Amino acid sequence: MTTVLKTDDLRKQFGELTAVDNVSIEIDDDKITSIIGPNGAGKTTFYNLLTGVLQPTGGSIWLRSGDQNELTDVTDAEPHEVAQAGLSRSYQITNIFEGLTVRENVRVARISHEGTRLDFRSRATGDESVEADIEEILELTGLTDIADTPCDTLSHGEKRTVEIALALAIEPNVFLMDEPTAGMNPTEVTEIVSLIRELDADLDATFVVTEHNMDVVTDISDRIVVLAEGAILADGTPQDVLADERVTEAYLGSDSV
Amino acid sequence: MSATDTSSRVSRFRSAVAEGWTRERFGVLGALALILITFAPPFQVYLFTDFLVVSLFALGFNLLYGYTGLLSFGHGLFYAGGAYGIAIVLRDLGPMIADIVGTGISPLVTFMIGGVVGLVLVIIVAVPVGWLSVRLQEIYFALITLAFGMLGYSLIIQDPAGLTNGTDGVIVLLGTVDLGGTSLRIGGRRIYYVISTITVVAATYGVWRIVNSPFGTICKAIRESPDRAAALGIDASHHRWMTFIISAAVVGIAGVLRAGLASVASPGLTHWSTSAIAVIATVIGGATYFYGPFVGAFIFLYIRWAISRFPALEAYWELFFGALLIAVVLFFKQGAVGGLLLLRDRVLGNNDDSDPGGRENTVDPGEQASAASDHEDEPGNDNMATDRGDDT
Amino acid sequence: MSLTSLVPLIGISDVVIGLSLGSRLFLIAVGLSLIFGVLGVLNFAHGGFYMLGAYVTLAVVSNVIDNFWIAAVVGALAVGIVGAVIEFSAIRRLYDRVDSDLDQLIVTFGFVLVIHETVRFIWGSGSYSIDPPDVFNFSVTFGGSTFNAYRLVVIGLAVAVLIGLWLFITRTYFGSLVRGTSSDREMAAMLGVDVPRLYTGVFFLGSVLAGLGGALSAPLQSTSPALGDQVIIDAFIVVVIGGLGSMSGAFVGAMLIGMMQSLGPQFISAGSIAIPFLAMVIVLLIRPEGLFGGIGE
Repeated sequence: MTTVLKTDDLRKQFGELTAVDNVSIEIDDDKITSIIGPNGAGKTTFYNLLTGVLQPTGGSIWLRSGDQNELTDVTDAEPHEVAQAGLSRSYQITNIFEGLTVRENVRVARISHEGTRLDFRSRATGDESVEADIEEILELTGLTDIADTPCDTLSHGEKRTVEIALALAIEPNVFLMDEPTAGMNPTEVTEIVSLIRELDADLDATFVVTEHNMDVVTDISDRIVVLAEGAILADGTPQDVLADERVTEAYLGSDSV
Repeated sequence: MSATDTSSRVSRFRSAVAEGWTRERFGVLGALALILITFAPPFQVYLFTDFLVVSLFALGFNLLYGYTGLLSFGHGLFYAGGAYGIAIVLRDLGPMIADIVGTGISPLVTFMIGGVVGLVLVIIVAVPVGWLSVRLQEIYFALITLAFGMLGYSLIIQDPAGLTNGTDGVIVLLGTVDLGGTSLRIGGRRIYYVISTITVVAATYGVWRIVNSPFGTICKAIRESPDRAAALGIDASHHRWMTFIISAAVVGIAGVLRAGLASVASPGLTHWSTSAIAVIATVIGGATYFYGPFVGAFIFLYIRWAISRFPALEAYWELFFGALLIAVVLFFKQGAVGGLLLLRDRVLGNNDDSDPGGRENTVDPGEQASAASDHEDEPGNDNMATDRGDDT
Repeated sequence: MSLTSLVPLIGISDVVIGLSLGSRLFLIAVGLSLIFGVLGVLNFAHGGFYMLGAYVTLAVVSNVIDNFWIAAVVGALAVGIVGAVIEFSAIRRLYDRVDSDLDQLIVTFGFVLVIHETVRFIWGSGSYSIDPPDVFNFSVTFGGSTFNAYRLVVIGLAVAVLIGLWLFITRTYFGSLVRGTSSDREMAAMLGVDVPRLYTGVFFLGSVLAGLGGALSAPLQSTSPALGDQVIIDAFIVVVIGGLGSMSGAFVGAMLIGMMQSLGPQFISAGSIAIPFLAMVIVLLIRPEGLFGGIGE
């Protein structure tokens, strides 16, 4: 077991409001960790801090970068630097390159990963090993059949899968999935859950998931972290966490306090 | 549905067209244009050269707009940069160069040096201007580029350094090359047309290579979603900066050609209304297509010419383009190229005419020759046609 | 040249001219800013609206009724209607697009060309001018310099518009809807605000203000088809410096640019027309939200 992501007293203030309140957490590489919490618990802010979209008010973020054993400090890193260091994400509201085909989407990620984005002399489609990698990712995520379809004509479920393929294509150490089942119908949910399981088994990436659908959470998680009012309320196995009265209270009773 | 042999012929024709968009086809087209126009009347030669120069201007602009999603209202700055670069070299360094290389060949050498100086000048200006401008996006990017363009306009007019000759601009005298009896006037319409064609074709080929390179692929990704690109490890701001510089350089080359064509480098080139020409041509032609700026520039110059044949309408050609611009943005973002493709599909009996998204047709000629990477060409298109066949 | 030798050249008249130039700029810029603040549309055609206001006023005075004030009101309202029609028929189609900002800018730029050519078609390429209304058409001599009293009227009206707008936005029901919609369109729609109608209303109001600016300036300048293109760039500078969406910012920015246009050339011979653009670049880079706050401030 190795720690791949760690926060130390991570804190974010928006004026008077403390959105993330001294969160210290260690994510291990052999588990799927879910981060859950009621609306306004600070999940989104926490994600934005981890991915460099927001700068923390205090504390630090450490990430396992590449094959290194030491963790790298990415507290002040820009989003693209965090991604290069080995943390990838998917979005709750689908964020893919709509005007490009599925294959082109994945190609963008691979070009970024290969570090050839400033190469303006070769053909984008000319590197056989890159094309083979793209093929492999498409196959892994089951997108081969629709590889040459423009993304703006895909179904919602297919777009959500492209979202995952993109994030995987940069071969991250940590994959933050933001509400992977958002807006999906039950069939699509089943498919995406089995995809996540497969990917977790096949890949080295460590999955961290936020999810509203509690069935999905209990189904895929080895560990659940509950955030409430910006702080960690509970942390443990699904059984322990769901049995925790404070968690039930946070979800159901926060209004009556 | 058409008969089987017809459709297979159509299909063969279409794949020939699709695969023909390679460097060979560019070469053939260039050669054809060169021959055709060489025998046209002088005014037509001038008009066609004008069209080529405006096309290159719009093409450079569109690298930033259509491909990267940044609308510049200040590219006139780089158009003028190229023009003034060559104009000042011709004016101030002409005699010196003649002393070194001899008077016979010196006009050509001076012209080439001037072109390089114009290009270098543009890059020198674009590096800081681009670095600052790409910090902003959308409307704010349009505003800051407009401000930079007008800043350049003010400086050229007020001429604090005594280089630009104020509102009159710098006269461009290209001179005559004299090689033992054969003399060639560089500024002569046909000769200048040949020079422009070669330059524009070469520059277009360069831009075409760029948009089909890994670099160009990343541009398109940034256009579609900058924060998604960043989350994949792409430094979007740096990439925009690099695109800005390349875009400015292409426009600078167009500016060099403009100076020789107009025989003057005038401050109006930096004015926002000149920058707007690139916007008009590109949008009307179809910003999501590689050759949109060419078609747009063609429409811009030739319809303007056609309107000018009717004295009653002559003064009001802007009205036409204003209305056209509004109509294209409101109703048909794919522009003229999108319209032509639609027409081609209709004529050739192709069912795949449903392109409501506009953006999905971000197809570059070169990509069509490669593996089935888009649905506009043959292999992908067959699937689409069967998928959608039931709807029609 | 020493600065002290130049100072005596600044007369009261230069200041009055500067403020009246600023006043006309304010009237365009405040409408531009209001429309941007609420609709998120940067209306490139706003300079054209201003020019149209001046032309309609001139036409009414010379052909219909020889009363400047009635003509000015007609001019302003006519421009308001043109603006509302443009919003209703064209710009409205773009709000829900992904890249709506740029599309809106390009469409309104299309209207710059259309308005320019229409004005030229109707009134020709020449320039027109009229005298200020008789009541105010006299010279004022103050502190050794002379200026037309009408300039003071324009300045006074600009201040009145600023105060009126401020009261309208902060004190009336419609004003509260405008403020609410500018900060959160979806929320306003959910609370039952008829957002499309409000948008048309705001566009109408902004256009009326531009038309009024043109109407009031008609006696102070020669009106020609090039006018629109000139003032829109000044108006862009003003709203950027003042802050897109800010009314008080538009006022301060407009007065600043007006004074610079009036006094600038006396201080710096070279580069003076470059300074506003330099200021625009610097403000965009350092404080893109402008030197002043948002709408209603």
